[in-house]
Amino acid sequence: MNVSISNILDQIIASIPLFKPELSLIIGFIVCIFTALFLEKRWKNSTFIACMLTLGVALYHLLAQLSTTGTGFSGMWLIDPWSIYARLVVLASTGIIAIFLQQRHPKNNGDIYAVLLATTLGIHVLSATSNWLMAFIGIEMVSIGSYVMVGYFSRNKAQSEAAMKYVLFGSVCAAVMLYGLSLVYGLTGNLDFTSAAHLKGLIDAPQAIITLGLLFVFAGIGFKLSFVPFHVWSPDVYQGAPTAITAFLSTIPKVGAIILFARLYQSWSSTAFYFSELSSWFIIIVALVTMLVGNLAALRQQDVKRMMAYSSIGHTGLLLMAVFAYQDIFSYLLFYIVAYVLMNLATFIFIDEIEQQTGSTSLSSYAGLGKKMPLLFTAFTLVAVSLIGIPPTIGFVAKLMVFTSTFSIFQSSGGTGSLLLLIVGALTSVISLFFYFKIPLYAFLRGNDNPIPSVVNRKQVSVMLFIAYLLTILVILFGIFPNWLMEMVS
Amino acid sequence: MGLLSILIFLPLVATLLILALPASAKAAYKYIALGFTFVQLGLSLYLYGNFNASLGGIQQLDAYQFVEQLAWIRLDLGTIGKLEIDYLVGVDGISLPLIVLSTLVMLMGVGASWNINKSPKGYFALLMILNTAVIGIFSALDFFLFYVFYEVMLLPLYFLIGIWGGERREYAAIKFFIYTLLGSVLMLLVIVGLYFSVINPATGAHTFNMLHMMNPANYVDGSFFAHIANYHDVFGIPARLVGFIVLFFAFAIKVPIVPLHTWLPDAHVEAPTPVSIILAGILLKIGGYGIIRVCYSIFPDIAADTNWWIALIGVLSILYGAFNALAQKDLKRMIAYSSVSHMGFVLLGIASLTAEGVSGAIFQMVSHGFLSAALFFLVGVIYDRVHDRYIYHFRGLASLMPKYTAYVAIAFFASLGLPGFSAFIGEAFVIIGAFNAESMSTGVPRWMAIGGSIGILLSAIYFLWTLQRMFFGQTRLQGGVAWQEALTDLNTREQVILFPVLALALLLGIMPSLIFGNLNASVLQLIDLIKPYL
Repeated sequence: MNVSISNILDQIIASIPLFKPELSLIIGFIVCIFTALFLEKRWKNSTFIACMLTLGVALYHLLAQLSTTGTGFSGMWLIDPWSIYARLVVLASTGIIAIFLQQRHPKNNGDIYAVLLATTLGIHVLSATSNWLMAFIGIEMVSIGSYVMVGYFSRNKAQSEAAMKYVLFGSVCAAVMLYGLSLVYGLTGNLDFTSAAHLKGLIDAPQAIITLGLLFVFAGIGFKLSFVPFHVWSPDVYQGAPTAITAFLSTIPKVGAIILFARLYQSWSSTAFYFSELSSWFIIIVALVTMLVGNLAALRQQDVKRMMAYSSIGHTGLLLMAVFAYQDIFSYLLFYIVAYVLMNLATFIFIDEIEQQTGSTSLSSYAGLGKKMPLLFTAFTLVAVSLIGIPPTIGFVAKLMVFTSTFSIFQSSGGTGSLLLLIVGALTSVISLFFYFKIPLYAFLRGNDNPIPSVVNRKQVSVMLFIAYLLTILVILFGIFPNWLMEMVS
Repeated sequence: MGLLSILIFLPLVATLLILALPASAKAAYKYIALGFTFVQLGLSLYLYGNFNASLGGIQQLDAYQFVEQLAWIRLDLGTIGKLEIDYLVGVDGISLPLIVLSTLVMLMGVGASWNINKSPKGYFALLMILNTAVIGIFSALDFFLFYVFYEVMLLPLYFLIGIWGGERREYAAIKFFIYTLLGSVLMLLVIVGLYFSVINPATGAHTFNMLHMMNPANYVDGSFFAHIANYHDVFGIPARLVGFIVLFFAFAIKVPIVPLHTWLPDAHVEAPTPVSIILAGILLKIGGYGIIRVCYSIFPDIAADTNWWIALIGVLSILYGAFNALAQKDLKRMIAYSSVSHMGFVLLGIASLTAEGVSGAIFQMVSHGFLSAALFFLVGVIYDRVHDRYIYHFRGLASLMPKYTAYVAIAFFASLGLPGFSAFIGEAFVIIGAFNAESMSTGVPRWMAIGGSIGILLSAIYFLWTLQRMFFGQTRLQGGVAWQEALTDLNTREQVILFPVLALALLLGIMPSLIFGNLNASVLQLIDLIKPYL
């Protein structure tokens, strides 16, 4: 390899065009810091506008990349359909989160936009690389940004506790992952997990060390994806963080992490050697346990946000199943991601809207609210139906596609693992009915014995609610005509 | 847009109309619902009148009538192949009578909802969505489409029972939902399996088309549900048997069979009268219809192997349901159990695999559809008036409500299978079919037919005993004078709903050819499909 400085510089300069969306995010990040420091006092919302503009510019550059492929920065940066569409989803939902923040936390919010942009940058890195170094930087950027966001608006002990828990757990996982990476690097001498040298190193390495290294690496990704047994932080953090931040945490970082994991799994499971088998058994077992634990634990929850935390753990199990079933076309994994993001964003906006009106996120406080806010709860119920995976919603189509691809693996290889995945996947949807339907159960079926006085009785049309209804319409529309979405992504 | 699509989606228009109208137009909702269901009934009768009875249907698309086929979802899934989902609807002799029945029962349901005051907007909107789903289930010929309608049906029912139901409505609603969803998610896995096993011969793509699934030639060799050279198994059980059992399980929950019936009494007791009518009148038939259309037609080989067991389940349901009905103190619960018993005949008839038996089973479904609707309506009459329906709380109602007593007596006699009424034809044909089964060597022994006859006897006992307990003798009511005043005789609206139904029971009892005529070709086609495997 030619390592002369001029060559490296040429390589970097040639790679810049591929990096435009991220560059705009970096510039936006700096601009946001400045506006938050100097402009925010005089001109309210200036940081928000700067943030939205940044996202717009990044989106513009990203759209220009559509249907191109390429690698940059000596193979560290990948532009392929996965990374393009994943980043599209990330940018669009970050925009929604930014509006969410602006609506809910109008005061003293300058820096949060800068942090949001930095975190988004981290997710971009995660979804566009197959290099361990980049991946680790991405994970850390997302993590540190998320720590700040969880603690940023903390007003009481529970919220600070959530932030603290998140930081501690996150740092330990990152350290473990780094140790695992050092083992993997030591065994292979190559940081690109798709390269032949990397795979060869893993094939030759002793089994005990590989087991240790792989499990350590998975621990770090597991923390971001919150699959079992690295899920314990998520219920506390989801409940403790402000709803807008929870909406962010439950959706966008997972997109980056799942894309990274899919790339990793795809390259590691491609051989017939010990580490491939280990990875597939790992993913099967973790998917099974995650689906079961997420859905069963959600049954007992009395707080909606906590329940949604377990629900998103359950959905992570299905996402892992989608990763496991990945063959040669990525569209259905992406379809599941889009479905998941749509549903979760809508859910958290609804939760927040109700919280604004009643001041509570406990399920029992929803009693009888269906009469007061019929439209909101009808839409909420539809989204819940989609989360269960009942037609005619996007959740059903997404689930069907995951089942379809898993079944094709089962038919061709006849493994017990894939059969178990199918059965458990189907049964957990029945289990999930119990807790998702607590929402309409309380809202429509239960009467309201002691009327909760509305804390704020705002009459103006809420922007967030409008967005949530839009998302709900998309949930139904893509459920009936999945073609429209699939043609966009393939 | 063809007539069948109009029939399916007309209620959806009604839903939108109801939702669009402001709350001040409250009184209009029920008239909208009534108007639309009336048009639907007219439309379905028109279809019935223009049906060509000589065409069989079952596995031949060109023998279906009023067919509409539109490409709906086409997805390229790489190595998995192309996903091919059609909007494909059509009717044959098996589905059309049930569609007419559904529109009729739906009209009765709307009529019985006249006094609903609790948020009528939501109520009628949900009722109309349910209506769309039900007609959709009976006409869908694409498995994906069928499944979508099947699941869409659950949501409005959950809310109809859960919001407008009785005391323990939450429990009943979620129990009903869980039972059905459990069956249907497992069904989804089999649908996916079938999808991978079947190829559309015209395009070479995998397909959800049910009719392609019925043709053994379309199965890929070595695929999961392949007819020949199939070495797949699930925990040691052959794959095709597993597929059949899972699908049967899903539909048997709906029928319902013993021991999967326990949701039914709860749902019926807690549901408001109109929903009970629709539950018994239409939804139980979806179970029977699904077994014929899906289980027996797609897995004819397994159907031929397992029919002894299915007939046994049928006989068990007949007897167990009847004995339970005998022991009930709640009138509505008694009728719910009598439904279990009567639907057992459907299963026995189908399993007999004779032309008489299968025709009898479908006839029994139609007959039980409107008769049980009438019975639940009659229960609703006294429940509306005094909010009580315990058999022992009433005595000597005959002198208080003579017209009501007359209607109840006719409905009871019709249901217990008195010759001259429709239930007699249905049950008699099922028994004949089951008797002949042994000589046709389809594997159903004679003693099962005898078991079925005992069921008819038991139904006479519980119906007549109830009639005697509640209506004859000295008038004695639990609620005293207050009840005596509340228990007024039938009003015009109630008579307008009941009279045509009981007249229909008589009409079909005397002229069963009205149904059998359109049914025959399809039933023979079905028997031909299964016969090679016997």
